[in-house]
Amino acid sequence: MTMTVTNEERSPMTQIQDAPFLFDDHGRCVPAAEITAAVHRTVRRRFLCTQPEWDYAAIHGRISRHLPGAAAVSLEDFQRRVVAIQARLSADPRLNDAAKAVAVPFFLPALPDAVHRDIGTELDDHFLPAVHAAYRDKFPHYSFVNHHKGGLAGRLSVAPGGRHEVLLQALQQGAVVGVLLVSLSEYSVPAAIGQIAALPEDFALAGGYDLCAAMIGSPDLLMRTDGYPPLLWMSGLAGEAAKVGYHFEAYGYNLTFNRRVHLDQAAEYWASSLVILG
Amino acid sequence: MTTIIDIPESGLSEAERAKRAGLAQRKPYVAAKLAKVLEMEERGEISPIIRLEKSYLCNFQCTHCSAEYYMDRHLQKTIGTADERPKISLDDIRKLSREADELGLARFVITGGEPLVMRDFDEVVAAIDPEKHYIITDTNGWFLDDQRARHIKSIGVEKVQLSLDSFIEEQHDAFRNKPGSYKRVIRAIHAALDADLNLLLSTVLVKGRAKTQEFLDMCKFATDLGVGLYVSYAKPTGSCTEHPEFVIDKEDADIVRELEKEYNVFTHMTPSYGSFKGCITVKGIITVTSTFEVTPCPYIDFSLGNLRETSLSEVLGRGMRNPWLGPHRPDCLIGEDPDFIKIHTEKTAGATHLPLPWGQGFSEEDSLVGQS
Repeated sequence: MTMTVTNEERSPMTQIQDAPFLFDDHGRCVPAAEITAAVHRTVRRRFLCTQPEWDYAAIHGRISRHLPGAAAVSLEDFQRRVVAIQARLSADPRLNDAAKAVAVPFFLPALPDAVHRDIGTELDDHFLPAVHAAYRDKFPHYSFVNHHKGGLAGRLSVAPGGRHEVLLQALQQGAVVGVLLVSLSEYSVPAAIGQIAALPEDFALAGGYDLCAAMIGSPDLLMRTDGYPPLLWMSGLAGEAAKVGYHFEAYGYNLTFNRRVHLDQAAEYWASSLVILG
Repeated sequence: MTTIIDIPESGLSEAERAKRAGLAQRKPYVAAKLAKVLEMEERGEISPIIRLEKSYLCNFQCTHCSAEYYMDRHLQKTIGTADERPKISLDDIRKLSREADELGLARFVITGGEPLVMRDFDEVVAAIDPEKHYIITDTNGWFLDDQRARHIKSIGVEKVQLSLDSFIEEQHDAFRNKPGSYKRVIRAIHAALDADLNLLLSTVLVKGRAKTQEFLDMCKFATDLGVGLYVSYAKPTGSCTEHPEFVIDKEDADIVRELEKEYNVFTHMTPSYGSFKGCITVKGIITVTSTFEVTPCPYIDFSLGNLRETSLSEVLGRGMRNPWLGPHRPDCLIGEDPDFIKIHTEKTAGATHLPLPWGQGFSEEDSLVGQS
């Protein structure tokens, strides 16, 4: 079945007046001058992802196989909409360097009442098991471990200012296609949220569904043998208490999910992700 | 001389669980403090293990020793004189114990040198106060026979960390430069267990060892014995400065991470008891040297302050504010980060007295970038 929703016209890029270059030569978002939350303005790039293979068919196959309802999105539509996102990035000189970030495409099936659903329950019941299955299929000798005990129900909400609600609103309208960019390395969670205001309206912080979909489609996003990848926060979501967040993290050749206090600090090991929808 | 860390919860045997229950009965104050460690982390507080290097006397001269450059025998050889800086006293240790207790810290490791050659070992244990702190001792095992094991248990030591650097007798003895030391370790294992001491084996991982059958055999041995095997990465400091080929790469670390799934083996990076600290500098461990300096781990020869001049609370604060030490990171700073290793090597080169004082190694101006 071919997906019927088209999104090319949605959320046109807005003009940011005072930021000629929004991304650096490695695709990292240049911290906005007005951000007061903790962020490293210069970085030595120790904790990096290796770019996963951008294989539309393989990514589409994994997401379709493991995420309930995702088979409704055709490979052709998935690829066409990702290419459209890339074209939009290329068309804006201020955003060209975003393409240098480690990035993976993903898609999500429609979720008619996404805005009202409990995000934690959805992650527990569908998304994290799908991450587990995708990781097991891709790396049968290694494992995905959810270290968080006690479940996520009622613990997660959209973080104000991160624009993550845009994803939920889009999911209410239909299936969503997007690209996730690991562009916010060495930002504290509050700084990642603050940075969103400096970016065109199409950019949002990755939260739960989108980051999980990216991990399902590209289970090797945090797989690295010659060095250490960063920890990836679900910064688009607020935890059940202040200064608490949820994240994916590699442990050797294994993938983990966990909760930790971040205390609004920046660390060179910590990163957040941007999502752009198409 | 090695470091120490607790066994991951997943690796606890029934016997170990029973020991924890026993601790709660015998030393409820200590058990209560240990039970609060995760609560402290949730508030952004830390509860590092304090390694106490009261003396560097040692009957061994190991190939990889991180404390060798602190020893009088080294200073006599290199500058012709012993270390004349003021040494910590039993009163200093009592003061440290009180300060640590007030901050909620709960664990001391007596290390060195070889603790069991210290004539005042019993007095040091008493000064730490076994009713207020969980006390562990490192040892090379040479002097740990049945009688000594029962004695140290009787004075309040709860755990022994015993060094075993190869499961092949000749290799262990050669690495330790001490013929007969392997046999003494095996004797000490049984002595510790018979005395109802909590036992941990520790072993140094040099590059390539994780892939060997010998290492696998040691993992099996420890697991079958029901004790944890703590794996310490070789670091390019101390005697190992002359052996850069010992320093592991990420593949070695990742092999050990895989072995953790099957065996009771772990490193200082292994999550334990629900705490996922990564590198434990300051967050999980500090070292107090014989001159009352505090370093962030046994292998980093930069001081965060001297406890005669600076409170333990401020020293810990300096550590947590330091960009190398405070933030969460998954790799071993002094064992795996080439930028930091370079800084450390350059700053300590030619230094006669370690650690470098606060301001000469670490300082409030430290930066991850642009520092040399």
